[in-house]
Amino acid sequence: MLSRRHFVGVAGAAASAAWLGVPSARAQTRPFTFTSWGGALSAMEKEAFMDPAEKLFNVKIVNTSPTNQAKIKAMVEAKAVEWDLVTVGGRSIFAGRDQDFLEPIDYNIVTNAKALDKRWVQSHGVYNSIGATMIAWNTKAFPEGKGPQSWKDFWNVKDFPGARGLYKLFYYNYEAAMLAAGVKESEMYPVTPEKAKQAIAKVAELKPHVKVWWSAGAQPPQLLSSGELAMCSVWSGRLFDALKEKAPVAFTWKDGIAWGNAVVVPKGTPHKELAMKIANYSISEEAQTRLLGSGVYGPVLESAAKKATPEQAKQQVMHPDNLKLMMVLNEEQAGQYMTKYEEDWNKMLLG
Amino acid sequence: MLTAAASRRLVTGALLVPTVAFLAVAFVVPVGILLKLSLTEPAGPLSTYADILGSWVYTRVFRNTIVLGLMVTAIAVLLGYPTAYMLTRLKGFALTLAVYGVLFPLWISVLIRTFAWILLLEKHGPVNRMLVGTGILDAPAAFLFSNTGVLIGMVHVLLPYAILPIYANMLRIDSRLMLASDGLGASPWRTFRRVYLPLSMPGVGTGAVFVFLLSLGFFITPALLGGANNMTVAMLIENLVNDRLAWPLAAAASFLLLAAVLALLAVTARFVKLDTALEAR
Repeated sequence: MLSRRHFVGVAGAAASAAWLGVPSARAQTRPFTFTSWGGALSAMEKEAFMDPAEKLFNVKIVNTSPTNQAKIKAMVEAKAVEWDLVTVGGRSIFAGRDQDFLEPIDYNIVTNAKALDKRWVQSHGVYNSIGATMIAWNTKAFPEGKGPQSWKDFWNVKDFPGARGLYKLFYYNYEAAMLAAGVKESEMYPVTPEKAKQAIAKVAELKPHVKVWWSAGAQPPQLLSSGELAMCSVWSGRLFDALKEKAPVAFTWKDGIAWGNAVVVPKGTPHKELAMKIANYSISEEAQTRLLGSGVYGPVLESAAKKATPEQAKQQVMHPDNLKLMMVLNEEQAGQYMTKYEEDWNKMLLG
Repeated sequence: MLTAAASRRLVTGALLVPTVAFLAVAFVVPVGILLKLSLTEPAGPLSTYADILGSWVYTRVFRNTIVLGLMVTAIAVLLGYPTAYMLTRLKGFALTLAVYGVLFPLWISVLIRTFAWILLLEKHGPVNRMLVGTGILDAPAAFLFSNTGVLIGMVHVLLPYAILPIYANMLRIDSRLMLASDGLGASPWRTFRRVYLPLSMPGVGTGAVFVFLLSLGFFITPALLGGANNMTVAMLIENLVNDRLAWPLAAAASFLLLAAVLALLAVTARFVKLDTALEAR
């Protein structure tokens, strides 16, 4: 995410941590701390997961934000872990596993994971809410029923004219470009140098029509509402939030790229067992069902998603009617291709 | 017995101790740790530096960042100079109002100011509506997501850092010198060029150095107002720290930026007397 403060904070934490090199005595006495992205997601998690968990386990939970994987790494290396359970993007699960700053999830405690699709259950993190990167457009640019219905349409500037917006990193764009090139989800992974090259070339082809390479989730709804862009990739939570304000924006689930918010446990937390119990509670049917009304991110548990009213179902990734139109992002692969082909991606952007 | 000069040096030294101690703890030590971090890659201590210098993207982005900084500096000084001069001519309430006008933006977060520029400059925003409505332009101009947008946003944020040192400098120029020049028969233009401008150059130098150094660390404004070409070193470093968790590489990129800045300042110092400029006399 975009913040100068993050960087300063992380650099400061890393520096002071390495300098002091001693574990924090405060860790033993501080209350259980849950950290997430902030905004609508944090409000939803507090109401659906944390407030009920406080009563259930009879503990005090402090809710903080924003989450930052670099901060977790700095805390763990400094042996001064201040967060016990953290919501992160899926890539952080694998970064944490590979760089050894996360506790493995104890599936003897997180038993509710058995009911989840196995894509949402990973060795060092478990997903508990779902969103997607979708195609959205300004309703004045395309009248009802005439909007783009696939990444192929998104790349088709002849039949769907107008300025485009895409995410600034290779993330999501690999998947979008491959779908636009007619590659199926089943053939997309593992990413090979040839496939990465193909995807970057496909994005380069659209580049003259991409006006904005967005970096903050708030940008796409704003740019679409104002008519600056005709169509843009957009995060579902941000889009639904804007639709509550009657923004002149429409979207399709078709060719959506589903991804999740996962909870992870920083290595060395003094509240490890409680963190696992709360993670387990957050994927229980009771807690997952509460997400239906939030109108932001949806449940990861299919049985909870199925309880949606017809109105709610329109905004649920895991609702069978929607999920069948979408693909699921492989976050482990995404973390790898972003690092490996970063130079090629940036070269395409700068070139 | 101490001589007067020696005791004066002692007092100066004593007064400096808190600042030096603070800088040592809060700046020198972390920078040292960062330097060490940049040398910890398993592939060899200098591999991070080789990675960055060998990369087309990084060298290109370093160049872009420095060119952008120079452009912002030139515009900020050109706009700041007449503004600072106007401030010296104001008195009483008008001066208070003008000074607050310069300072007020500094109290608002850069992120909010950047978003405000997006709303003002967008395709159907107020600026374009006015330009098209009054017939100055036939069609809305593309201010955003280009160099233009980045320059507008950055100059707006950095302008006070140019105005204030120039203003402080101008206040100290003895106005009788201009009267003397006038009395000796010089035209106003000649008086400005030969008397006022040279006397105000130290302020211009200070302002320019401030604006340039601050512009190199810019991150939010180019990210939100710029296009694909407006990638800056700060954006790449942020990505290395937060996304890739490649801290040794991020540390090396930071030191290369620092080295580039120091080299540039050393070259500048040959042309502008930086020590007198920084005193803004």
